[in-house]
Amino acid sequence: MKKLTRKSRTVGKISAGSTNKTLPGAISRRTFLRNSSLMAGGAALATTVSPVMMKKSQAATSTAGGKIEQVKTICTHCSVGCGIIAEVQNGVWTGQEPAFDHPFNKGAHCAKGASIREHGHGERRLKYPTKLVDGKWKKVSWEEAINEIGDKLLDIREKSGPDSVFWLGSAKHSNEQAYLFRKFAAMWGTNNVDHQARICHSTTVAGVANTWGYGAMTNSYNDIHFSKSILLIGSNPTEAHPVALQHIFKAKEENNAPVVVIDPRFTRTAAHADHFLKIRPGTDVGIIWGMMWHIFENGWEDKEFIRQRVYGMDEVMAEVKKWNPKEVENVTGVPEEQVFAAAKAMADNRPGTFIWCMGGTQHTIGNNNTRAYCAFQLALGNMGVSGGGANIFRGHDNVQGATDLGVLSNTLTGYYGLSAGSWKHWSRVWGLDYEWVKGQFDSGSYEQSKGKDVHVMNTNGIPVSRWIDGVLEDKENIAQKDNLKAMFFWGHAPNSQTRGAEQQKAMDGLEMMVIVDPYPTASAVMPDRKDGIYLLPASTQMETYGSVTASNRSFQWRSKVIEPMFESLPDQTIMYKLAKKLGLADQMFKNIQVNDDEPLVEDVLREINRGMWTIGYTGQSPERLKKHQENWGTFDYDTLKAEGGPADGDYYGLPWPSWGPPEMNHPGTPNLYDTSKNVADGGLTFRARFGVERDGTNLLAEGSFGKGSEIKDGYPEFSDKVLKKLGWWKDLTPEEQAAAEGKNWKTDLSGGIQRVAIKHGCSPFGNAKARAMVWTFPDPVPIHREPLYTSRRDLVEKYPTYEDRKSFWRLPTRYKSIQATDYTGDYPMILTTGRLVEYEGGGDESRSNAWLAELQQEMFVEIHPRDANNNGIKDGDDVWVEGAEAAKVKVKAMVTRRVGSGVAFMPFHFAGHMQGKDLHDKYPEGADPYILGEAANTAMTYGYDSVTQMQESKCSLCRITKA
Amino acid sequence: MARMKFYCDAERCIECNACVTACKNEHEIPWGVNRRRVVTIKDGEAGERSLSVACMHCSDAPCATVCPVDCFYTTGDGIVLHDKDICIGCGYCFYACPFGAPQFPEEAAFASRGKMDKCTFCAGGPEEDHSSDETRKYGRNRLSEGKLPLCAEMCSTKALLSGDADVISDIYRKRVINRGASAFNWGVSFDNAKIKG
Amino acid sequence: MKIQTLLLLLCMMLPQFSQADGPPKKQTYPEGLLSLNPGGELWSDIRQRGDSVLDGTSQVKGVDSGILINASGVEWANFRVNELTTYSSIALAAVFVLIFLFFLIRGKVGIEGGLSGRMVKRFTDYERIVHWTLAVVFLFLAITGLILLLGRPLLIPLFGKEVFSLLASASKESHNLVGPLFLVSLLMMLFSFVRRNIYEKGDLTWLLKGGGFIGDGHVSGGFFNMGEKTWYWIVILIGLVVSVTGLILVMPIFGQGRIIMEIVHVIHVICALALIVVSIGHMYMGSVGTEGTLEGMKTGYVDINWADAHHDRWGKECHEKDLIISAEEYDKLVGTSSVNEADGSKTT
Repeated sequence: MKKLTRKSRTVGKISAGSTNKTLPGAISRRTFLRNSSLMAGGAALATTVSPVMMKKSQAATSTAGGKIEQVKTICTHCSVGCGIIAEVQNGVWTGQEPAFDHPFNKGAHCAKGASIREHGHGERRLKYPTKLVDGKWKKVSWEEAINEIGDKLLDIREKSGPDSVFWLGSAKHSNEQAYLFRKFAAMWGTNNVDHQARICHSTTVAGVANTWGYGAMTNSYNDIHFSKSILLIGSNPTEAHPVALQHIFKAKEENNAPVVVIDPRFTRTAAHADHFLKIRPGTDVGIIWGMMWHIFENGWEDKEFIRQRVYGMDEVMAEVKKWNPKEVENVTGVPEEQVFAAAKAMADNRPGTFIWCMGGTQHTIGNNNTRAYCAFQLALGNMGVSGGGANIFRGHDNVQGATDLGVLSNTLTGYYGLSAGSWKHWSRVWGLDYEWVKGQFDSGSYEQSKGKDVHVMNTNGIPVSRWIDGVLEDKENIAQKDNLKAMFFWGHAPNSQTRGAEQQKAMDGLEMMVIVDPYPTASAVMPDRKDGIYLLPASTQMETYGSVTASNRSFQWRSKVIEPMFESLPDQTIMYKLAKKLGLADQMFKNIQVNDDEPLVEDVLREINRGMWTIGYTGQSPERLKKHQENWGTFDYDTLKAEGGPADGDYYGLPWPSWGPPEMNHPGTPNLYDTSKNVADGGLTFRARFGVERDGTNLLAEGSFGKGSEIKDGYPEFSDKVLKKLGWWKDLTPEEQAAAEGKNWKTDLSGGIQRVAIKHGCSPFGNAKARAMVWTFPDPVPIHREPLYTSRRDLVEKYPTYEDRKSFWRLPTRYKSIQATDYTGDYPMILTTGRLVEYEGGGDESRSNAWLAELQQEMFVEIHPRDANNNGIKDGDDVWVEGAEAAKVKVKAMVTRRVGSGVAFMPFHFAGHMQGKDLHDKYPEGADPYILGEAANTAMTYGYDSVTQMQESKCSLCRITKA
Repeated sequence: MARMKFYCDAERCIECNACVTACKNEHEIPWGVNRRRVVTIKDGEAGERSLSVACMHCSDAPCATVCPVDCFYTTGDGIVLHDKDICIGCGYCFYACPFGAPQFPEEAAFASRGKMDKCTFCAGGPEEDHSSDETRKYGRNRLSEGKLPLCAEMCSTKALLSGDADVISDIYRKRVINRGASAFNWGVSFDNAKIKG
Repeated sequence: MKIQTLLLLLCMMLPQFSQADGPPKKQTYPEGLLSLNPGGELWSDIRQRGDSVLDGTSQVKGVDSGILINASGVEWANFRVNELTTYSSIALAAVFVLIFLFFLIRGKVGIEGGLSGRMVKRFTDYERIVHWTLAVVFLFLAITGLILLLGRPLLIPLFGKEVFSLLASASKESHNLVGPLFLVSLLMMLFSFVRRNIYEKGDLTWLLKGGGFIGDGHVSGGFFNMGEKTWYWIVILIGLVVSVTGLILVMPIFGQGRIIMEIVHVIHVICALALIVVSIGHMYMGSVGTEGTLEGMKTGYVDINWADAHHDRWGKECHEKDLIISAEEYDKLVGTSSVNEADGSKTT
């Protein structure tokens, strides 16, 4: 197979034909040190060394100058959260050692983690505040930038109201930064705040939380060591979470666990699988129900588990009955024997774990998909056991934290929601007058709920996936006062959202864009506008410190490796400056110490601990987290539990929920819903979130309860009333009673209700059944619906999409009116997107790292040989991929059998070219990534999840022609 | 003294390229020079496997055999190194090496290749250990600090092993027993899979 | 320069030098170190699997980066270090010995009746420049090439690695830069002399009569005899091969794989050696070996007796067209003639 060999343009500038020169302006730290007469090298040996890997030869101690400091931090690229040991000399990051004793990765990395020291070079970083003036980038001071931005914001607030500013935050914030960001939006007075989770796992969070209470990964990467079978759907960890394969292989090799991969593409993960089911993109429900058809037919389901802990499985069974093998093959394309074999493999080998990622979430029926996955695990009884679980691999390093901390337009921090009760709770935590907070919002009402006017403070804001409609849509149709006028791209790239061509228009339609990022990102070059863009250089997480939450809910403490580079500032400092300018600083940082414009990170975490009772973000104090950081090696590789050492008894990172205040010393919950342990030791039940009874059916658990539980059955969530009823109220101290009066386990700021419930062996949030049927959702039992842009017109009648909605998350949202048109004549091929291991997210950060960029120099589309031949395309040809909404991208063709005939795949990490035009010259000088390319999402189309507004970027239509 | 070797477990390699970037990171290697690379066979098809390849530090190194200026030498640990001051950049070692390990920072007309560069097993070069000359020319010297090559230490799935040949053989043997398969089975687990077309 | 080369080649014949760094012996290690290479089985498997497996893809882009293992490299290396150096040394030494023996036996080929002092123009200035340019370039390339080919066994023991490295580096760089000049000169040579080197009637006779070296020395020839023509064609054809292969080697920027380079390299060296070996004979014949020949290339003129003796058909033409000039005229043109016109004796 031919290899694409185009050389990078930036490198080619040096001399024709030479691709092998050092890139211009490369400053080698080693050269720097040599010139400063400091030597690289050192006497440091790895602290505890894996006996399997190391063989000591004669160790030389270096007497060279420049003491080497070892700083522990966590990789910023993905949610696995690999430990990093940075070696710093005189403030310069000179080396990177493997963190052998870190329980998640044992020193391992992927290409991104192994090259993260490049952040200390930062050749292509955004170096100073920059403003676009008359089409040219002009350096400005921080003061100037903040002043101008602030003035403009206040102006917009005056004319159009606070909802006209969109605060797009980041999955790369630290927990403290994410918390401050959500608070900032609240202080400003809008719910138009969101981040990457919207377009990544929002359907997971909604679907899973509505099934059994919390929407997060239930077990952990390490817990996979105990899995007897592993299923991955829409997940390609070899590219997206490589270190997770360390754990998956352990199970595969030592437990002989069969690996089932369900994906439209033969991914690198599929290459290591025992079963590969190639589905048509968008048919997840079909294949899962198809597998469950065999499970129910053969009576393989765990009937006792279902009886005790699941509601609504009968309704699911009724739906599954429709998915006989013939229908499954018709809809998904997978023949019976494969479906049967996979189902049997999972059923025969329990506990089995179920992993999914964007392949399953990014659909108009994403919430159906995620609930179907949950139903599968519930049916097999794989929930609440070590080795089982719904092991959802999150994306960015702190998307879990940012989600938990509420950088979302539909909730406040901690999933409290947007009701008055939620605002009141947080106002108390913030130490602010609720009325003042309310007064920050626009007092208007633009929609009704149950016949009554609702206030914008209590309605879902516009989600990031729809921000462009917030600009382009007629303001009469938007459920807020005015269109969006200003947009903050705070650590969020634009090319990860669909409808790129329209996004360009929307950017031009704003009055101001503020990009806060270590890199300019494609937002700086996409719009045609000549003014009104500010670029504020943010420090990376390597230049500040704080906590981060990995996908398995563990907190990790990051220490600062180097001082902020160039003129960059950490997010918290930028937020303080902006808040000060906007007159919000006193309120926002009321209980947070600020030193030299930098809020004290530990104080922020303490405020979080004081308020986030819902998911148990209360036990993870800075002190406990720092202790864990210092004692990585004491945590067991399989169980994550510290046996001995200063953190004895804790689970690494105190995975939430870590109940109660820090003094209670709860060890964290390594596997959710595990009733084999006492809640005090990390056990848990399913949350009682949906009531105690429905239509005469008991919604609480029956005969299932946690170890040591004094209530030997299901029970509702705890409140003061419940405690009093049980006679446990007296167990509260007088102070606790004072705080807990009239409150429940979520709003009692003393934590007493939680403490007492746990004292009696009970989960503070109750003990209920998981519901396989979510009656509040558009499709209570998950069903299949064809994608909006579908290649199977013959299935549209049987599996139609939803009706159009006039106002959904403040915006009109179309479904049926799009699916009604047959696009297959002009756009016969299915288009899907995904990841590459060398790059992450929007890609500007990783494409600015020469060590990574060299490995993926060209944007491409994967196309099957049959389709290539039908269109006269050869491997390496330039082709146009035109999406069904007529936006097109010019990329190289990679002819491969990895995709099936009729399906094309593009990675989404590239940006900097737009519909054939090279935008390289629009980047600020010295801040362009080494590699540019077309953004796949320019060609991806309209389509949003029926519950969360997740974008449908996994199944659309296209045509591919030779350029 | 032990004999230092690499071994890449094809069943575990997922082409994550950590070994490639770890090496570039540790030794500040410029664009265009890659001491290590991952090669994938049957890309996108059943039986796809990947292997990480760099200098294999052969006992009977063809590069050393063919060098016109005899700039190679083998250390007591069995590591094959060369002297960049002697190297004339002729490219013969690249032709001779079965694994394509030698790299050249330049490749222009008139074969003006610069000095050959290759994997040093993180053992530096002929200069004094940890001297700035050694670091500048050959990269870091980890072995003299009792550490192993960073590529293997950072491999995401512990596919790439490095160190004493006996120790590696032991590790690998244990894995094979676990898998119940022979050393190099293209697509063995995949053959069991129910794949059609 | 020729004496030095001769001496060097003679030295090479001495066993200790030709075996100086010889074919590398299998490296031996202290007891207990011969551990099994954990990858041995794996790589044996890979080598046996054939092309479909050996050829893969890599995100690292470069020549042959997708190839897992190139087995031919080791064969090439061994051939280069063993057979190529050995046989080229032998060939070079042999040609000197053979010529020396020939000189001893046959002696200088003289002219019956001696030289007359009356000259006739044989080569124009342009033709002589072309010849000498090509000759000098060729010699330069030959020497630098031989330094690279045979330096390790012969010169490292003499000079040590550091000094030899400088010499080798200079040789490599200059060989590469001067190489294309060879092609240019070769083409000039081609066009200058091609007409006169076409084989014609009488050439076969010349060959059958041993070119005059055997027997009575009388054999008819044209402007160039068959031997010279053959040398010409060897130079041109093999020279072109050497040039083309040289260009392929010297410009690795077109993605030539290693197998191509290995094959091209071997062709280049063998052809170059062939040229060197035969050129030694040519150099001998053109100078020491034949009386009166060198003048032709040195001044452009040859003695008419020399012409009649060796190239009588051309000599006849010169007589007919009255192209002969007297010794005095010759003196005026080129300086003192080396022959006394009166009695044919040498002047200086």
